[in-house]
Amino acid sequence: MSDHQWENMSDKDFEAMLENTVSQLPPDDIVAEVTPWKKSINRVLVGMALNTITFNFLCLNYILPAIGTILLLLGFRTLRRENRWFGACFVLAIIRAAHLFPSLILNTTIIHSTVNASDISYALTVASFLLLFIEYICLWRGFIAAQRKAGVPPHAGGVAALLVWYAIMCLLALIQYSGLIIAGIMIVGYIFIIRSLYKLSKELDEAGYAITTAPVKITDRCIVISLAAILLIGCVCGYVFGGSYPMEWSALGPDEHDEVEDIKAHLIDLGFPEYVLNDLSAEDIAACDGALQVVVDVTDEPVNDGRIETTQGGVGDYRQIVQNTVYDVKELRITGVGVQVPGDRERWIIFHHFLWTTDPGFYGTESIQLWPVYRDISEGWHSAGDVTGRVLYDDGEETFVADYYSLGARNFTSDTIFWGEQSRTDVFAEFSMPHNGQNHRGYVAYPVDEVEDGYIISSWFNYTHQRSWLQYPAMTATEKRMANSFDDRAFKTVQDALQFYPTDEGVEMIS
Amino acid sequence: MNELEIVELLLQKDEKGMSELLIHYGPLMRYIIAPILPNAQDREDCLSECAMQVWKKIEKFDSRRGGWSAWLTAITRNHALNFRRNTTVHSSAEDISSELPSPELSPEEQIIRQERQDAVRRALDRLSYKDRTLFYRKYYYMQPSAQIASEMGMTERAVEGKLYRIKIKLRKTLGGEGYE
Repeated sequence: MSDHQWENMSDKDFEAMLENTVSQLPPDDIVAEVTPWKKSINRVLVGMALNTITFNFLCLNYILPAIGTILLLLGFRTLRRENRWFGACFVLAIIRAAHLFPSLILNTTIIHSTVNASDISYALTVASFLLLFIEYICLWRGFIAAQRKAGVPPHAGGVAALLVWYAIMCLLALIQYSGLIIAGIMIVGYIFIIRSLYKLSKELDEAGYAITTAPVKITDRCIVISLAAILLIGCVCGYVFGGSYPMEWSALGPDEHDEVEDIKAHLIDLGFPEYVLNDLSAEDIAACDGALQVVVDVTDEPVNDGRIETTQGGVGDYRQIVQNTVYDVKELRITGVGVQVPGDRERWIIFHHFLWTTDPGFYGTESIQLWPVYRDISEGWHSAGDVTGRVLYDDGEETFVADYYSLGARNFTSDTIFWGEQSRTDVFAEFSMPHNGQNHRGYVAYPVDEVEDGYIISSWFNYTHQRSWLQYPAMTATEKRMANSFDDRAFKTVQDALQFYPTDEGVEMIS
Repeated sequence: MNELEIVELLLQKDEKGMSELLIHYGPLMRYIIAPILPNAQDREDCLSECAMQVWKKIEKFDSRRGGWSAWLTAITRNHALNFRRNTTVHSSAEDISSELPSPELSPEEQIIRQERQDAVRRALDRLSYKDRTLFYRKYYYMQPSAQIASEMGMTERAVEGKLYRIKIKLRKTLGGEGYE
């Protein structure tokens, strides 16, 4: 046939020609593809598989259920008009998506742990699991109804098996089962169920030709792009606006220390570092009235990972290669100050001051975990008052000050490899620093009274700094510290201790 | 019962094969007939006739040329087209055979038709899988745009736009191949 003939055909003739020339056997792959429900039912089955099993690594416990939920949504959207069971599945898929996606966004904010710990959130999570279970029941009934309509003998054993499997899993979760034997059996069972579902998908093709699909007003692609965009924008907003504590910063008045100038002068005479003293509140300075002696310990600590420096030494068989981590910059200056003040018994006020001498590059949430003297040496010292403190920064000529977002004792349970699960109570100070300004700093202070003579003063200051926003779900520095986790890309903890032995002859520094 | 067992029963001219065919493949045959024949009674009549065609021509099924579903699809589709032609025109117009190439065509027509089929097949091979599926749905299965749209998760407008672009592409490809 010449080119001319193809080109001169009218649209109608061309279409008629196409219809007449494709009357051969259609390709097998096209025949397999042309069915009203293969695509949708495969989406449903894959969605079920992704929603049912949980992999707790690489964020797969969030990514796979999210993909699974979208697949269920799209799959049931096509099938919703076929029978009431599929219609119910679609409604349930919408409800579950409406719960899951806001939860995924909420996880990018630091309030998620507070929200998730609430009774309402717990109820919603349980409801979501139950809805998934109900969704499986509806799916099972939907399959049976579709097969009956098509005149195919009804069977959907794979879905029924999945229902039983899921019910057992919920039961195991409820009793907090942690054994390996049943878990292993359940994983093997799950693999068999997935295989059974795959076979079922093929068998259901027979009945699938009788399915009535719902008309499309919004394309699948549009729905996926919209959901992905909402998720992305929500997560970005979560990280930007929900990644730090709301701090109430105010300009520091120049006359704040007017009434304690004499005490300040006396403390400076005793060796109290002026840069620390200037940051203390008037009340904390006043508490040092009549100070007898001052003990100071200054340390510069790195919050970066440093660099590895390799050196070679020795010769021949005694040749050694030594690798050391070298820190070119030590960003955090920690100053421990002990002030002995007059009292019936020996009394000390302990100050732990920190100062960012170099901008660490990122501020998210910060945390100070305090191990006061009386925590470990309760025979020698006891608390003589509350822990106080505040945070500050300079912006140009002006200094801004704020109370900690929270400061006080917190009960928590940590789980370590060496010590197992332990319940503890420690003092935590939580705060966030602004991204602008310089000299970000702060302090905590507390008084201790002697119980019995002869004990050292050992006060520990654990500063956890958030180095990156890149973490999911978002964790605060305090939560990280409470989890007793090691340093990672997002958090680094710096430890410092003020340790000395107060004697009648003076003070003997230990560190 | 799987397809091999059904084919075997049909080859043995066992009537159970016929009932199993209708149980397991009736939905597929109805699905193919539906867009071609709008009348419900015609569909049921056509389905019975298609089943009879399968019964008669089962020996011609050659699994090396294509799968069982493809063969059944071709038989059903072509018979439904004949059924439509016979019921609407009520004339002895040329039937589309359930098997190709058509024995009723003259040798010259057969050659021309074969050339066209080869040319279109080559042009279709150049389309993406999704476009080919769309093409077959429209020009082989004769499905209306609304059905294609709902089953492929697209809007009707998107389907029509895509089909228009496919037609342009095919015209261009066929015109550029220089068949003499």
